[in-house]
Amino acid sequence: MTVAAFLTIFISAIFINNVILSRFLGLCSFIAISKQTKPALAMSLAVMFVTTMSSIITWLIYRFLLIPLNMTYLRTISFILVIAAFVQLVEMVIKKFAPALYRFFGIYLPLITVNCAVLGVAVLNSDMFFNQGKVLPGSFFYSAFQGICVGLGYTLAMLLMSAIRERLELCDVPKALKDFPLGFIIAAIMSLSFMGFNGFKF
Amino acid sequence: MRKIIQECVKGIIKENPTFVLALGLCPTLAVSISMVNGLGMGIAATFVLVFSNIIISMIKNFVPDKIRIPCFIVVIATFVTITELLMKAYSPALNRALGIYVPLIVVNCIVLGRAEAFASKNNVWYSLFDGIGMGIGFTLALLLISGIRELFGSGTLFGLTVVKGFEPAFVIGMPSGALLVIGLLLGLFNVIKGRKQ
Amino acid sequence: METKFLVSGSPHMHTRESSSRIMWMVVLSLVPAGISGIWIFGKPALWTIIMAIASALFAEAGIQFLTKKKISILDGSAFLTGLLLAYNLGPGVPFWIPIIGSFAAIAIGKMVFGGLGQNIFNPALVGRVFLMASWPKYMTTFIQPFNYDTVTSATPLALLKEGKAIEHINYLNLFMGNHSGCIGEVSILALLLGAAFLLLRGYISWHIPVSFIAATGALTYLFAGKSPFSGDWIFHILSGGLILGAFFMATDYVTSPLTRKGHIIFGIGCGLLTAVIRIWGGYPEGVSYAILMMNAAAPLIDRFTKNRVYGAK
Repeated sequence: MTVAAFLTIFISAIFINNVILSRFLGLCSFIAISKQTKPALAMSLAVMFVTTMSSIITWLIYRFLLIPLNMTYLRTISFILVIAAFVQLVEMVIKKFAPALYRFFGIYLPLITVNCAVLGVAVLNSDMFFNQGKVLPGSFFYSAFQGICVGLGYTLAMLLMSAIRERLELCDVPKALKDFPLGFIIAAIMSLSFMGFNGFKF
Repeated sequence: MRKIIQECVKGIIKENPTFVLALGLCPTLAVSISMVNGLGMGIAATFVLVFSNIIISMIKNFVPDKIRIPCFIVVIATFVTITELLMKAYSPALNRALGIYVPLIVVNCIVLGRAEAFASKNNVWYSLFDGIGMGIGFTLALLLISGIRELFGSGTLFGLTVVKGFEPAFVIGMPSGALLVIGLLLGLFNVIKGRKQ
Repeated sequence: METKFLVSGSPHMHTRESSSRIMWMVVLSLVPAGISGIWIFGKPALWTIIMAIASALFAEAGIQFLTKKKISILDGSAFLTGLLLAYNLGPGVPFWIPIIGSFAAIAIGKMVFGGLGQNIFNPALVGRVFLMASWPKYMTTFIQPFNYDTVTSATPLALLKEGKAIEHINYLNLFMGNHSGCIGEVSILALLLGAAFLLLRGYISWHIPVSFIAATGALTYLFAGKSPFSGDWIFHILSGGLILGAFFMATDYVTSPLTRKGHIIFGIGCGLLTAVIRIWGGYPEGVSYAILMMNAAAPLIDRFTKNRVYGAK
């Protein structure tokens, strides 16, 4: 476990392989919810929390349940069940302890279950930090950290996009391009500019 | 009989999952680099969509409302795993090309979306044909997008060189190019829709 | 008498100058750089500039005609976009590169947002990164200065990125533009003349360029050398598209923040990103990407640095 490895995960997850702008995970919520900054920020924080915790839980399940029992082909089902259960749990906890926040999130909270970014990072972790059923050194911490960083990358993209779209609300955009098409084109240009980070080496 | 055909056809144009309902975008953009990949993903997703629609509409009356989403997901995930295993066994090259987007069919908004919006409310026959229609619509959308991207990005279609002496624009094969193509296509379809009215 | 009410979002600035006049003044300030580019690289440079401008004008007129909007190519903004795009290209590129690039710049960088004043990203840079991502081979081939037979040669930054020797390139050569590079970026002297004109006439303020250049200089001084605090920051400031970008592209009103504080943040962000890409990234030059990324962040910067309106929370 080296600092360089953590730094690489940090830079890679947030900038070079940004979960939204390079890997296209979480696009549906990105285009749909990034119209205003407040919901975008709320969604991003919730997603970050879920990606981090589910990275940890799915790692544990993969390591201590699926590998020993030789059932790694059940990865998809078990991961998504974990995520669905976890989101349900988060929903119940928030509803009980912060009802105002729960109302504020509204439907965004259960939608996190089908956010590709969450399942994506769990699958990514098991691909990157395990080698044919063997645990690579530092795997747990790398996975957890990658969960956090993917959440941060998601937050960055959401914040940028929501500020841009809020400003475009005041502008006279061509009708055929309003909302979704322009959202994609903006994402395309953002993705092009993030290409500046290609080939990063420390 | 006519109603069944109607349910099937609507998924192809009028309620095309990609261009009209804007569902299932993540795999669409990632996988549509070549028509072969697009076709492969389309078939895989259709398989999952059809069978999960069938099963979900069969069990819809037995599933308690509060936990229906996790239950649907279990059904969908089962078929995705079957698809994954079949692909690994019979076309490993395609499996490698599609990468993590095969297991991600589980969270493909189209599948869960149709389960929630249609299969959980209609009988097996309609759900079956809805699945087929949506699957075909999705596959056609994938073929259209990947056709454009493959043509401009590498000058080929289905791997066969179509245009010679033409410098392909690499950007089209990249994430940004994908987003650009679908943004412009969506805009184009909006213009067509606007003209029709 | 027909009364037209024009409602638009603030800020409103009432000056003697129209935005059209400002555009043409910026074009004027860029003429020295263009003349130097043509003098240093010969006819290919001239053709690239002409192609880029023509394509930009046609693209804008064409799109406006097809969408039944007023044709505004005389306001200087499309001309400026084409000119800046050409300045960002190597002189020896095939003729279709500036044509496609200008078209992409106008269509994707400006028109989709609804035209002048509404674009988020600098259109010339959008065109440039589009070209860079599509045809990297052509975009990274440069020709030798003063050798009108178009012999290829690598730019100083490219040599630096590959770890090759750069001793033969002294600061004077960099300053006068006696090295290979993009048409409008090599002659620092010509660029500074134009920049002085813009600054003195008040068309741009010093905040963005100074913070941009200072940030790049500081970071390269710290990290660009073999050991900390030994980086050749003068080399970095004089090479690549830094001067061109800092004075003429990052300062574009539409795509940069509204407040002075925002300008400084914007400039520092551009400078840091440029240096980071130059030092650790895969590309030898990062100015275009840095400016575009900060363009994306400009609305966010505005949100946090806007002046307080009295009476509001």
